[in-house]
Amino acid sequence: MSGMSSKKSKGRQKVEMVKMPNESNLQVTFSKRRTGLFKKASELCTLCGADIAIIVFSPGKKVFSFGHPCVETIVDRYLTRNPPQISGTMQLIEAHRNASVRELNMQLTQVLNQLEIEKKRGEELNQMRKASQAQCWWEAPIEELNLPQLEQLKMSLEELKKNVGKQAEKMLIQSSNPPQFFAGSSSNAGGMNLPFDPNNNAAVFNPNNMMPHPGYNPGFGHGFY
Amino acid sequence: MTRKKVKLAYISNDSARKATFKKRKKGLLKKVSELKTLCGIDVCAIIFSPYDDQPEIWPSPLGVQRVLSRFKKMPEMEKSKKMVSQDSFLRQRIAKAYEQLKKQRKDNREKEMERVMFQSLTGSNVFLNMNMIGLNDLGLQIEHNIREICRRMETLNNIATMARPSNEEPSQQVEKSFGFDGQMNMEAMQKQQWLVDLMSTPPQQHFGFGGEEVMQPFADTINNNLWPNPFYP
Repeated sequence: MSGMSSKKSKGRQKVEMVKMPNESNLQVTFSKRRTGLFKKASELCTLCGADIAIIVFSPGKKVFSFGHPCVETIVDRYLTRNPPQISGTMQLIEAHRNASVRELNMQLTQVLNQLEIEKKRGEELNQMRKASQAQCWWEAPIEELNLPQLEQLKMSLEELKKNVGKQAEKMLIQSSNPPQFFAGSSSNAGGMNLPFDPNNNAAVFNPNNMMPHPGYNPGFGHGFY
Repeated sequence: MTRKKVKLAYISNDSARKATFKKRKKGLLKKVSELKTLCGIDVCAIIFSPYDDQPEIWPSPLGVQRVLSRFKKMPEMEKSKKMVSQDSFLRQRIAKAYEQLKKQRKDNREKEMERVMFQSLTGSNVFLNMNMIGLNDLGLQIEHNIREICRRMETLNNIATMARPSNEEPSQQVEKSFGFDGQMNMEAMQKQQWLVDLMSTPPQQHFGFGGEEVMQPFADTINNNLWPNPFYP
């Protein structure tokens, strides 16, 4: 599900079916399993058209509930033992609700698919990095480098940054488009101002400029963009 | 267990739907039971299906009754705080998944940029084919890496300075940190006070010139090392 932090979790472990002895583990287990339970219930409703209610009291005495169409109607339906009254208005509400759920499920599916693609890409990139680390000492994690190595790497990077800056300036000159289309430049009309300063005038790292773009294009392509 | 991906939509095939219902209902109730056992809490489930007039319930009529009474006694606010329907639950899931997606994309982007960066260091200069957005991001990535390196270099130098006020010979401690031979340590000692002063200044100034100047205590050692360094002839 969410194993994306660099610290690896313990993964799937067999657990004994007794009350968990460790208080904090119990809390975490409750949280995760409750979410998973609601997810399974939601899927059962969608896939098979079931009406379900689940009520859970947490270790902290809070109450969580899931219900489709909603918790209260299911509970009442159960307690009064009456078949549900299907009035015309209710049918309309029901139809709207189902249409909304259908759309949400589609949206969720889309996002999950995209997430899977990105995760695979991430794995791919990790593999590639590992492979080249075997041959290039400078690709190793910074913590593994010693001081002379760090110094040399730093200088090479500064050199590279200058060259990248030169290339950017070259492109700005060559292009006939006015620079205001350039993403990130505020009000630099016609100037050579770049969002990153090749000459290291100000060491400010702006995370807003690191926003990803749709798809994989790392910035290769014809034309200005 | 077959791990076929199931489409998140109503199953139109009647027999497939019924089979899925039986299987998943069983699995769901098992999960409910496990949750109760593992966490020692009150829980109940009520399932209405098109296949049965009577609802299927868990744990038992009495158990359900108990949970429902406890539920009804809760104040309205408490009940509705954590109450979800399909609609709200799906929205929550979408939001969570979207946050994960954004983060993963950002990570991937950084990794891509690092890759281009390292490739360019070897002279293959892939960045020449990039457009402005790519160049921009690349520049930022390089800046980021340089910053990290400076930070790391400062840490290593901190270790050298912190080693001073102890019973052990300072020269031995610095040697332990870096594995250099003992020769350069005298210079390190002399510069230590100056380093301490340097480190108490605001970080901005460090990143501007800290790198080169901090390196000077080790200048002699660098010349002895494998990597030729044009800045320290």
